[in-house]
Amino acid sequence: MKSLFNYIKEVVYAFVSLAKGLLLTLRYFVTIRKVNITEEYPNNRTTTISVKERFYGEVVLPHDENNEHKCTACTLCQIACPNNSIQIISKQIETEDGKKKRVLDKWVYHLDSCTFCYQCIDACPQDAIEMKNSFELSVYDRTKLIYQLNRPGSKLKEKPTVKEQQS
Amino acid sequence: MNASTVIFYVLGSLVLIFGAMTVFSQKIFRAAVYLLFSLISVAGLYLLWDMDFIAALQIIIYVGGIVVLIIFSIFLTQRSGEKLPPPIKKRLVWSGILTISGLGLTSWIVYNYLFSASTLPGVEPTVHNIGEQMLSYSKYGYVFPFEVINILLLAALVGSIVIAMKKKEIKPTDETTHITK
Amino acid sequence: MISMIEFTDITAWIHSLLLSVMTPTWTYIVELALSGVTALVVLLVCVIIMVYMERKVAGFMQLRWGPNRVGPYGIFQVIADVIKLLLKESFSPNRADKVMFNIAPALALCVSLMALAPISWAPGLTMWDTNIGILFITAISSMGVIGILMAGWSSNNKYSLIGAMRSGAQIVSYELSAGLSIVTAVALAGTLSTNGIIQSQADGWWILKGQIPAIIAFLIYVIASTAECNRAPFDLAEAESELTAGYHTEYAGMQFGIFYLNEYINMAIVSIIASTLFLGGWMPFHLPFDYPVVHVFNHIMDFIPTWMWFFGKMFLIIFFMMWFRWTFPRLRIDQLLKLEWKYLLPISIVNLLFAAVIIVLHWHL
Repeated sequence: MKSLFNYIKEVVYAFVSLAKGLLLTLRYFVTIRKVNITEEYPNNRTTTISVKERFYGEVVLPHDENNEHKCTACTLCQIACPNNSIQIISKQIETEDGKKKRVLDKWVYHLDSCTFCYQCIDACPQDAIEMKNSFELSVYDRTKLIYQLNRPGSKLKEKPTVKEQQS
Repeated sequence: MNASTVIFYVLGSLVLIFGAMTVFSQKIFRAAVYLLFSLISVAGLYLLWDMDFIAALQIIIYVGGIVVLIIFSIFLTQRSGEKLPPPIKKRLVWSGILTISGLGLTSWIVYNYLFSASTLPGVEPTVHNIGEQMLSYSKYGYVFPFEVINILLLAALVGSIVIAMKKKEIKPTDETTHITK
Repeated sequence: MISMIEFTDITAWIHSLLLSVMTPTWTYIVELALSGVTALVVLLVCVIIMVYMERKVAGFMQLRWGPNRVGPYGIFQVIADVIKLLLKESFSPNRADKVMFNIAPALALCVSLMALAPISWAPGLTMWDTNIGILFITAISSMGVIGILMAGWSSNNKYSLIGAMRSGAQIVSYELSAGLSIVTAVALAGTLSTNGIIQSQADGWWILKGQIPAIIAFLIYVIASTAECNRAPFDLAEAESELTAGYHTEYAGMQFGIFYLNEYINMAIVSIIASTLFLGGWMPFHLPFDYPVVHVFNHIMDFIPTWMWFFGKMFLIIFFMMWFRWTFPRLRIDQLLKLEWKYLLPISIVNLLFAAVIIVLHWHL
């Protein structure tokens, strides 16, 4: 008798647990407009497309409103890069007070050989470079994938001196 | 010669042709499929004679049941995809003689038997009539064969359970369990 | 009652038109061909809708859109797929049994189309109005396994053979509980003819009138027929993770297409039978009570045309089967056989006894 009772209980439990799954999929089916997770990519590229911030798309050198960047041309990123995607070309200039100083001339980025490993950004002591989450990077010619990241006419952002910091 | 005669001869020849192919085919799976076609043609004959119920039963029992079982057992045999060896000549002669004499005997009996047309009215195969006929114990009732078949099927069931039942395994001694652990 | 054009009027009109131009024999032959072609076209249109529906249901249940590139809402996707299948080469493997290999898809299709004959599409619209209709359909569906076995055997491929054997074991065992639940409905209706069964539901569908046994029989029939169609969660025959594609692994092009078509035709037939037996086929929704309100309700239901009821119920049950497919994971072969022999079969036997008691005591409405 007990085994018969267990048998019936098993059948009823089976139906209950199946109904749970069925109700979940039915909810998805009915509310598909809300729960849908498909990005209709080429159609929504100007409207609702969203890529996570942490996506590694390409290396950028941010400039502020005065067209100044933070790169001191220390070449630590170039050394850290495992596949030579970064080329730092620096030049000597003479400052107003007659000192000779090495500044950045060209920050050349070979996107075609970059593996987006993030090691250059980890290596940078000045936090001058960043990873951007852009993803539409393809072009028709490989030579077009060599970018110069510093804008023309940009210069190093002067660090506030101790005096200025105090005031 | 009207259409139903033509259909009769077409179906009859299909039954015979596929029957012969079943016997003479050297590939056992093909033989089973030819048997299937032959049985379907028999069902077609029943349909031609307006015996829908018998035709449906022919398909359920012979085509859906027996032939599927035969095909299954062919699947389970070894090397069933290869051609069968050609029959031995001596056996071929003997079996030919026996078959022809059997055919002669049957056709002789059929030829000499006086078939009288049935005077009983036809029975409509409604559910009610089928049920009554199956369980009635009057003159044309089928309750006796029905029960006999029940007992036969029960015996087959019990027999198959006995064959399939596992013998109780001897429990390993404590030492061996220790080792396997 | 609005004077509506009934299907019987159309058939009578065609009959008189044909009689006016040719002899009765030719009329008979032409009508046979015409009814066959019409049923086939209706079914193919249904299959196209079903394939599109399956993809959309699958997409929606998996949080995606489904096909939406070819035409508005992707409605021409199926047509594009059919064109692709038609243009592909039908290829048979080198060591296959070529004759059997090529016959198998055609045989499978023929068998499932034969089950169309006794189906009652609308009042007075039946191709073969025989008094053993449901029995004939059961007989034909027991033949469906032959095409699969032939395909699996003749491919000369271990995956195909294993798939065919699994599918055979599955169909043969689930036939039993499907048959027993059909018997429950037949016992309630007291006839085997499809027209008769539908007429017996004029004052209410069997799923309402037949009390608990009818509901249990309906559930068992839907489960068993899902298994008979080899659809997920019972799709072990083509379990792609273990058997690549089961019995149709070696088929390409339109030969594969026929197996695919066959699956959907089987689904359509099974759901037509389920709706005929339990949901009243083309019969509008009527309540079996004798109150003025109920009479008004029944009369309002009559305004909805019968073809809408027929296809509505058919697609409802098809939706159930798709819902199962995209919700449940696949069973193992031992679980499959356990489900049939330890659960469905005993339950349906007990259910049949229960139904017999209810019928004898006239407890059904």
